[in-house]
Amino acid sequence: MWSRKSAMLGSLAVAMYLLGLTLRNSQLVTIAVVIFVFLTWAAIFGGHADVASSGRRADEWTGEEGVALGNVVAMRKISSARLFEDGELNVTLRMQNTSSLAKILEVRDRVPEVMRIKEGANYILMELGPRRETYIEYTVECPLRGFYSLGPVAVRMQDPFGMFHKEKELHVYNDFLVFPKMEDLKETFVKSRVPKIFTGAVNIRQPGPGSEFYSLREYFEGDSFRAINWAAYARSGKLMINERERDAVSDIIIIIDSRAVAETGPVSRNALVYSTRAAASLAKYFLARRDSVGIIVYGDEVVSVDRDTGKKQLYVILTKLAGAVARGNIPLQVVVNRILPHINKGSPIIFLSNLEDDPTIVNALRDFRARNFDVTVLSPSSLEFEFDAKRLDRTGYEVMKTERDVLIGELRGLGVNIMDWEPDMLLSTALAGARGF
Amino acid sequence: MTISKESGDTAHLYDGKTVRSSAPSRKKLAGQTGGLGTDIPEDAIPKVEIPSFVESLLGGPLVPKMKFLPPDKMVQNLQIAVYGVLVALAFLTYMISPPEGTMWYVISGSLVFANIMQILIIASATVFGFMGTLKRDARFSLASYLLFILAILRFASSKTSLSSDIFNLQGNPTMLSVLVVVYSVLLIMYFELSNGVFRYSMLDTSIRTNEVYVMNPKKIVGKYHRSLIINPIIGTLLAWFVLSANQILPFFVGIFSSDTATRMRESVELTSVYGVAMGTLFVFIVVGIMFGLNLPTHIQRMRENKAD
Repeated sequence: MWSRKSAMLGSLAVAMYLLGLTLRNSQLVTIAVVIFVFLTWAAIFGGHADVASSGRRADEWTGEEGVALGNVVAMRKISSARLFEDGELNVTLRMQNTSSLAKILEVRDRVPEVMRIKEGANYILMELGPRRETYIEYTVECPLRGFYSLGPVAVRMQDPFGMFHKEKELHVYNDFLVFPKMEDLKETFVKSRVPKIFTGAVNIRQPGPGSEFYSLREYFEGDSFRAINWAAYARSGKLMINERERDAVSDIIIIIDSRAVAETGPVSRNALVYSTRAAASLAKYFLARRDSVGIIVYGDEVVSVDRDTGKKQLYVILTKLAGAVARGNIPLQVVVNRILPHINKGSPIIFLSNLEDDPTIVNALRDFRARNFDVTVLSPSSLEFEFDAKRLDRTGYEVMKTERDVLIGELRGLGVNIMDWEPDMLLSTALAGARGF
Repeated sequence: MTISKESGDTAHLYDGKTVRSSAPSRKKLAGQTGGLGTDIPEDAIPKVEIPSFVESLLGGPLVPKMKFLPPDKMVQNLQIAVYGVLVALAFLTYMISPPEGTMWYVISGSLVFANIMQILIIASATVFGFMGTLKRDARFSLASYLLFILAILRFASSKTSLSSDIFNLQGNPTMLSVLVVVYSVLLIMYFELSNGVFRYSMLDTSIRTNEVYVMNPKKIVGKYHRSLIINPIIGTLLAWFVLSANQILPFFVGIFSSDTATRMRESVELTSVYGVAMGTLFVFIVVGIMFGLNLPTHIQRMRENKAD
């Protein structure tokens, strides 16, 4: 393939040749001839002639039996197919030259744009000897959740003067998943004044077999002697026993607003990023407490993960969260109407949204409250993201902030636990704020 | 469980209900804020440097967009080579492009004016060339290239004439042809070497900023160095071969008819620029056929098979 440089030289040569004939200037013709000669020499012996190549995954490679279809073969191995945001992925690219001639190759392993190369390089200029192979190692940092793919590997050969080149894409792809990072909520909740705020909520907050203290009551026949509170007996002269709060598994429903408006703000700092991280953290926390967690992600469609418990459920939830894309504009009311028949009455509901551009939010949450659901809203403030990104001036910010405060006040009036989650606030702090602790 | 439904069909939600007005659309308001605009935040778009047309012609970016790190030894050597070639080129350009026949002479009719203009153009080309190489600013180099080409544009006769014949070459047509070929090769080498300064500065900067990793740099640089020596030699020989059509053709014709060969040798047309053009055409028809037969690929395969 001609480079622009060779095209320029070629055009120059043709122009000089014709001009030389027109002006009867032999110097111009001579220069044109020399340029033609340079171009011809580079084209014939530039070593660009054949980069027939093939690509395979490293795991498909089974030693010596694999015969490459061309002269250059690329294989890749990644350290993990699943990692969390801000995690690092080690990539090993194996390049083989199966030909008997040395080649000078430019190799660029395509990395998703949001990734950052932390160590090494994905762009290598190399001299690969005959029947030799080499390993290229680099580390990428993955700052944002999502489904990603490494590849293809672009290989280019060119003559030393960069006149002609030949490029080939080796279709070697490695897919990997970046989960939203999680905040450890355990410590925060243990330290809060009312532990287990969700597991005992509403209909679950009943006396029964459990570990946490619930109340004192008089002793009845049949009660266990082990439950007698001897100090209370000494004070009151009546046999009193400790009642414990029932350790019941509750259903937690987490609703994530993934409409197009949720991505308002910078790529790395917007409501959707915060919401997915919060949902992941909450899911991990509740699942660790043996609660049953289900999530609903809505944007251009309503995607839900049925309630379940255990580590497998956490993986399913994280996968769904990793794939959440800001699209569409389904109103919350549609989601509420759809899920209401399927969730247990009184289940705690956590709604993660920036509360933007949806006139049905108040009515939808009112419907929840009317059915006695314990609703917690964490609202990452898109206003702050946009203001920080200097997309809003002070006046616009103040106006919209007031509007937002009014909306939050209205929701609070419905009995919704709501927190205006500012960008620098930790999730645990925002949760504590929402619950009023 | 995945439930899909078209998001547009939500009218039934609002029928007969009082819908509270929510916060105004962020996009709308952002559009009204005047100076700040609705442009996409900076960090939303990954930085992709796409070279402009001129940049790609020069094989590297224009300096104002990319700051090169101080030159390494390789770049310094290339710079020195450029300076040397530049001086020789300036001298030869002046030698083979006398003011007669230049556009300045055609316009003004004054030999002195034309001479001054010619010297000015060549001097400017040289100075720009120095500056472009020293500062590694491609704009100066581009100006230098154009000025050198401008200097050689002459409404001249077919015969080569010299403005200053210090080596007394005017009477020797062979040496004159050699001089022109050497000049042409020097011009191309100047293009290539100054281009190499940018390319290797960019590469060196990229290496030092960890954008690119180079394996076996000595071999890669060695190949470039070899090309810098071999290509001009080959270029000179091939160009000489092409330009000697007026001697080569009569030689072959002489096998069959010595009279015709003699007539050809003495032919004005064959020794003129048209003779050169004919020789060029002849050679490049052969080259065209080579490419038409996909010879480069066959040569490559042959080399690989031979190595096997």
